[in-house]
Amino acid sequence: MNEHVHWKGYLAVISNDGVFIQSPYLHGDQIVYGPDSDSTTMAIAAIQLMRYKGHIIDSIHLPESVDAQIVYLASGVDTIPHNGELEFGDIIWDLLSGDEATLVIAKTNSESYDFEEPQDVEIIDADFFHDMTEAWRLEQEMHHVSQGAYVSTSQYLEGAAARLSLTSQKVGDRMIWPPRQLDENGLRFSEDSHQLVAEAHVESWTKLSAAGAPSEFSLRAPILGGIQTLLVRFEQGPRGVFLVTDDLDYSPKIGDTVHFAVRRIYAQEGMIRYGLKAFPKR
Amino acid sequence: MVDVAVIGAGQTKYGNHKLGLKGMWAEAAENAYSSVDRDFEPRQIDEAFIGSVAFGGAQLGNTAALLTEHSGLDGIPVRRVENACASSGFALRDAWMAIKSGQADIVVAGGIEKMNDLSAERKRFWLGVSGDTEWERLAGLTFPGTYALMARRHFHEHDSSHDDLVHISVKNHMHGFENEHAHIRKQVSFEKAESGFMVADPLTLYDCCPTSDGASCVILAADHVARQFTEDPVWIRSSGAASDRLALHDRPSVTQLLATQKASQAAYSAAGLTANDIDLAEVHDCFTIAELMATEDLGFADHGQGGVFAREGRGVRNEGAVCINPSGGLKSKGHPLGATGTGQAVEVFKQLRGTVEDSRQVRDAETGLTHNVGGSGATCAVHIFGRERNE
Repeated sequence: MNEHVHWKGYLAVISNDGVFIQSPYLHGDQIVYGPDSDSTTMAIAAIQLMRYKGHIIDSIHLPESVDAQIVYLASGVDTIPHNGELEFGDIIWDLLSGDEATLVIAKTNSESYDFEEPQDVEIIDADFFHDMTEAWRLEQEMHHVSQGAYVSTSQYLEGAAARLSLTSQKVGDRMIWPPRQLDENGLRFSEDSHQLVAEAHVESWTKLSAAGAPSEFSLRAPILGGIQTLLVRFEQGPRGVFLVTDDLDYSPKIGDTVHFAVRRIYAQEGMIRYGLKAFPKR
Repeated sequence: MVDVAVIGAGQTKYGNHKLGLKGMWAEAAENAYSSVDRDFEPRQIDEAFIGSVAFGGAQLGNTAALLTEHSGLDGIPVRRVENACASSGFALRDAWMAIKSGQADIVVAGGIEKMNDLSAERKRFWLGVSGDTEWERLAGLTFPGTYALMARRHFHEHDSSHDDLVHISVKNHMHGFENEHAHIRKQVSFEKAESGFMVADPLTLYDCCPTSDGASCVILAADHVARQFTEDPVWIRSSGAASDRLALHDRPSVTQLLATQKASQAAYSAAGLTANDIDLAEVHDCFTIAELMATEDLGFADHGQGGVFAREGRGVRNEGAVCINPSGGLKSKGHPLGATGTGQAVEVFKQLRGTVEDSRQVRDAETGLTHNVGGSGATCAVHIFGRERNE
């Protein structure tokens, strides 16, 4: 018997020792990714779901389409592309991608996968899908010089663990996020790794018109009809600002509870910047 | 300790300029030199501080050296001061400190920005470079978005509303209408201002200042030389400045600017004054919510009462106890980023000397204040000016 769940914007079917996860969007007869998802974001969601279900996943085999570094930063799950010292045979989990926007996580010794078909697939608007796909393609080309505020690769990676997995610093009873460098005594803040619980409350929100959106979003904001940002406070104290996932029709209210999923934010110099985006708790 | 006087001040008109950086700066400097009552030559200036964000990347390096060589200031120590939109507020503070320290007798503080000869795409990039780019820009925020978050939260916490912001917009357009240096000399009705194009919900076009070209220049002198140039100086009674966390989400409050509170408290304390003593204030209203919060943070209204202050028209020229933004503020006069701080000082200098257009003169103006904010509140400089020196 399979369990069907909606998970971080995806449709998942869970069996005893694996998960089948797919995008909810149908274009023609193909399952396709939504406006800010790809195989990396869905792989992270699948790993998180497996862990939520009690499976221990420390390392995994990934297909080439999945960014191993981002998976590691978001989930701590190691891979051979990320860590060359891993032994191939010691890895007991496979993450396999299909031709469409589908992934399976299963044990490496599984001989067959038996999953029911996910429910609640919806047809994506063809023009919207085409326009977004083209915008991302252009944005990812090396010669596309973004006018976006320049966050270098090293600066992005320096904060990526905090951005993707809410890694924070703990000082006494206080949690600090995003991380800080020196305190008022000139000493380094604790480097002990603590993760914020990925649930927060909306303190304020805004929707920027396409004309007012930052230039790094200039290809996609007009297609999306603007971009929506939330100011939230986590249960453990820190605040943060997050985009709302692109495929949601969500009218926020102050006090709403939101969860987070890894999504594509924008691309610069051929590299996709991933981060957490918010969606309302259902 | 030496007191510091303003002996001359001038600016360009703000707006869309045909002139480039050198031409605009020369015009502002020329206007400042010619405003000095007695014979004055730029060769008498000891040092210069020029605020600029170098918007668009224009002359990003050695900005001040290039500009000052075109305004008769060859050979003296100069530097560009950059603190986002508070660049020339801090240039003014640096100039004031140079005289206070005894290192200089006559110092220029100025600012400049050229914002309207860029593509829309390039402009949108530069309008968001002074926030915490790593966290705020990657969350889709530029300053309209950041101030929109503040506005919605203020509405929630203090029962203020967008109507309060509309009152501010209408007032500042009314004040700026008669200012010959203002970028947008157009009055707007309440109905029009409340139904503007949505830029960043809940802020509309009428809540946002324009992007302007412009330059401004102020000449400061030590007390022992000021009387050589004028019998009618305006004294800088105090200067206060502070900083805060760059990112809004890192601050303890998102409905108060702590840098404004600290800077103004320092300025009031040094001048021996309170908010009740201020006759006019040039307030940093890059967005209408910024003025609403500033009226609270500067002490003109109690905390949370900025909406009531705006609604009741307490900042209207010659109606309330204090005139807020007699120039029209950033909303109407315009906001050439690096020029704004010293541009505010130009307005206060003229108001206190009674040399603005008659129709917009603040009556019996003895004491004025300038409030210049960088980014969404990460930096702030507050100056208090008076007809009289500190006792």
